[in-house]
Amino acid sequence: MSFISELKSTIGDEKVLTDPAELYVYGADWSPRTSDEIMPPEVVVQPKTTRDVQRTVKVAHKHEVPVTAGGGLTGMLGGAVAMYGGIYIDSTTMNSIIEIDPKNQTVRVQAGATLQKVNDEVNLYGLWLPHQPESKWVATVGAAIACDNDSTFGVRYGKILNCLLSAQVVTGTGEVLELGHRKAHFTSSGYKLKDLLAGSEGTLGVITEATLKLEPIPEARTVDMLVFHRMGSAVDYLSRLLKAGLCIEAAHINCKRRLKFYTHAYSRKHGRDAEIPQWAEALLAIAFAGDERFVDIQRSYALKIAEEEFEAEAVQEREIVDSWWASKYTLDFEPFKQKWPDSQRTKKFGAADPGVPVGRLEEFYHKFVEVAEKHGLEIIGMNAYLEHPNSIGFSLSCAVFVDYRNAEEIGRFREFHDELSKLAIAFEGTMSTFMSDTHQKAPYMEAEHGPSLAYMREIKRLFDPKGILNPGKKFIREGR
Amino acid sequence: MSGLDEFEDELETCFGTSCGLCERGCPVYQTLYTRTLSMKGRNRTMLGLLKGKFDITPSVIEAAFECTLCGNCDRWCALKNTDHTMALREHLLKHGVEPMKEHSSLLASLKNYGNPWFQPRSARSKWMRGLDIPRASPGKQEVLFFAGCTSAVMKPLVPSLVASAKLLKRAGVDFAVMAQDEPCCGSTLLRVGQTDEFEKLEKDNFDKFKALGIKKIVTSCPGCYTTLRRSAERLGEDIEVVHITQEVADLIRSGDLKVQRSSEKMTYHDPCHLGRLGGIFDEPRDIMKAVSEFVEMGNNCYESRCCGAGAGLQSAFPKLSRELATRRIEEAKGTGATTLVTCCPFCETQLRTVPGINVTDLMELLLEASSNGG
Repeated sequence: MSFISELKSTIGDEKVLTDPAELYVYGADWSPRTSDEIMPPEVVVQPKTTRDVQRTVKVAHKHEVPVTAGGGLTGMLGGAVAMYGGIYIDSTTMNSIIEIDPKNQTVRVQAGATLQKVNDEVNLYGLWLPHQPESKWVATVGAAIACDNDSTFGVRYGKILNCLLSAQVVTGTGEVLELGHRKAHFTSSGYKLKDLLAGSEGTLGVITEATLKLEPIPEARTVDMLVFHRMGSAVDYLSRLLKAGLCIEAAHINCKRRLKFYTHAYSRKHGRDAEIPQWAEALLAIAFAGDERFVDIQRSYALKIAEEEFEAEAVQEREIVDSWWASKYTLDFEPFKQKWPDSQRTKKFGAADPGVPVGRLEEFYHKFVEVAEKHGLEIIGMNAYLEHPNSIGFSLSCAVFVDYRNAEEIGRFREFHDELSKLAIAFEGTMSTFMSDTHQKAPYMEAEHGPSLAYMREIKRLFDPKGILNPGKKFIREGR
Repeated sequence: MSGLDEFEDELETCFGTSCGLCERGCPVYQTLYTRTLSMKGRNRTMLGLLKGKFDITPSVIEAAFECTLCGNCDRWCALKNTDHTMALREHLLKHGVEPMKEHSSLLASLKNYGNPWFQPRSARSKWMRGLDIPRASPGKQEVLFFAGCTSAVMKPLVPSLVASAKLLKRAGVDFAVMAQDEPCCGSTLLRVGQTDEFEKLEKDNFDKFKALGIKKIVTSCPGCYTTLRRSAERLGEDIEVVHITQEVADLIRSGDLKVQRSSEKMTYHDPCHLGRLGGIFDEPRDIMKAVSEFVEMGNNCYESRCCGAGAGLQSAFPKLSRELATRRIEEAKGTGATTLVTCCPFCETQLRTVPGINVTDLMELLLEASSNGG
């Protein structure tokens, strides 16, 4: 019996898709690629329960067939694309909210629930899940964990791992494991296997459920933009605010070029780009949230320090700030004029996601510009998102426009991406901070991790002895 | 109309972007979680089809027809997604796909009776009995009240037409009707992919309107409203098309129509064709606020969710269609309202199939609330 026939008889015909048109739509994510590079899986499974996933993986294990699990397919580097075919598990059909526990501020969900769906449900209890990437309407909980993607509010709440208390996974042999510490916020017991899931890209197991820590919804929020002479000044300023004891909710340092991309709505409305002073090299978008009175105090103090100690200026044109915030968080676009397709009609957003030491941001920014220009790519700009609670550690989004109808330009984008990844390691940093490794960074894992890479391979083997889980991601597929 | 290949660049743009923001508000995708039924997936399916990556398969046909064309995907996009879907329907029918049998039946009725509901042409004028409304004749009137097939021939919907006509009179509008000579606007043909037939019909219709000297068409059917308005634009005809709510809302604003405000909590369902596709949100709400204790559903105006009746879904996919209606009724009940008001014959009929809340027509409600009504 073929593995597809066995799947149908095991979990039911209606959960197994084989029509080529249906398979085709699963063949690409958000990453820059031409439509000729769509890689459909051989079969798609739409499970309803962990049991369905378990049965699917057991069939795959028996037949040694690749299994790639995915959510909203908004990954930026091909992480959930089934590049070796096999089975694609569409987790979006597992989207139930299993338990909301308001007293303990937790929620248990199936992994295919979108981040927005979780918030739609828990907001009714005055709680929210603060892990908020721009893709939250589509990105699922499981995919957010597996990709370890970014969040707008990282400087206060961290990323998904800071919210993740426990997760259920189906390993490569079909075993169901619960990793984590139930509803406790942390543990000193055992090895923290749950933490391995963040950025694991489905290579250790298929995440089927998760218990997440929630936060009370703040009463008020203010968002401002400040302009600085240099990017380094913005970093120093944020460090100063933390020293002062302020509780920052969101902080994003943008280079001047990047503003244009984030203020698409402003440009559409006014027929011109948003402008900031000529002298400014960096913009900092900063948010405070909490009780209104306290938010106002913090904001005023932050603006005072900016002006008095850093010669920074607040952006006075409110529409620029609102346009940026709509793009980053509210997604409150004017009807029929949503930013994404409109700004990507000829070229799309493509990025590298390195991390560098905090004192070398400015130096790396200039390298980014140099590398992008060397590869002949139109620069969108850099955004440094603060992603670690109460620290100035940031993710870097080094973005360029890529013509997705032009295979040669996509090739240049990939070279640009690889060069920046390697450069970040040379800068004593890391090659990935929100897109994970996927197949793209697999050749550089040795450079990033050195001898510890062998330990990672052993861990992978323990969870997935036959190497069927998302092959080609993180590690170059061997012997094929 | 545009062929599917004319949209290839837009389909590439959707593929290139792949944001998926269209998925959140799509009532069909949020019910079935079938990727090809989300707009992002449907666009990608069309792209694959045009690129010859696969032939027309059952999933392609479902992707084309299992959609209410409600336009929620357009609200979250800058591409012409609903037009893509209509072009896909047309493309399939022109490439050997037989119309769905339920749609064939509607089309046969349209051809034979001039309405999709197998009712004789004479049934079209029954609603106006006793109302003393003049019949349109060349040069005698400038305003035409266009009843629409569905309200005119379906008995439970007649009171809404009667109310509309009475309120138009109150507004001092000098209008006439075409009675049994009134044609179908062609909305059904357009939505199920019969583009060539539709183009013939719309031209015939506007020739008739012009021969009668019509300068303005008032209709109470949102489907007729968007279809006739777009036909007028496409054909370059100087005939204004408005919805009844636009005509009578001024009666409220000016205070010319005295109404008694009910203390009953009521909510309003935006018909897709009137709201998102027609851009009319304020007038119905002005009326609702005047006559009731008005509460909004969470998904309202541009974010309103389709009732599931549109674009042939009700006839060809009744189970899914009813699920969509059930979701909308649940949302309405969640507001605490005891009456759900709408102003579309399709929405009204569809929403009435789900028990749990009183469903009524906005014009009927307004007429009843007017102190000197009746």
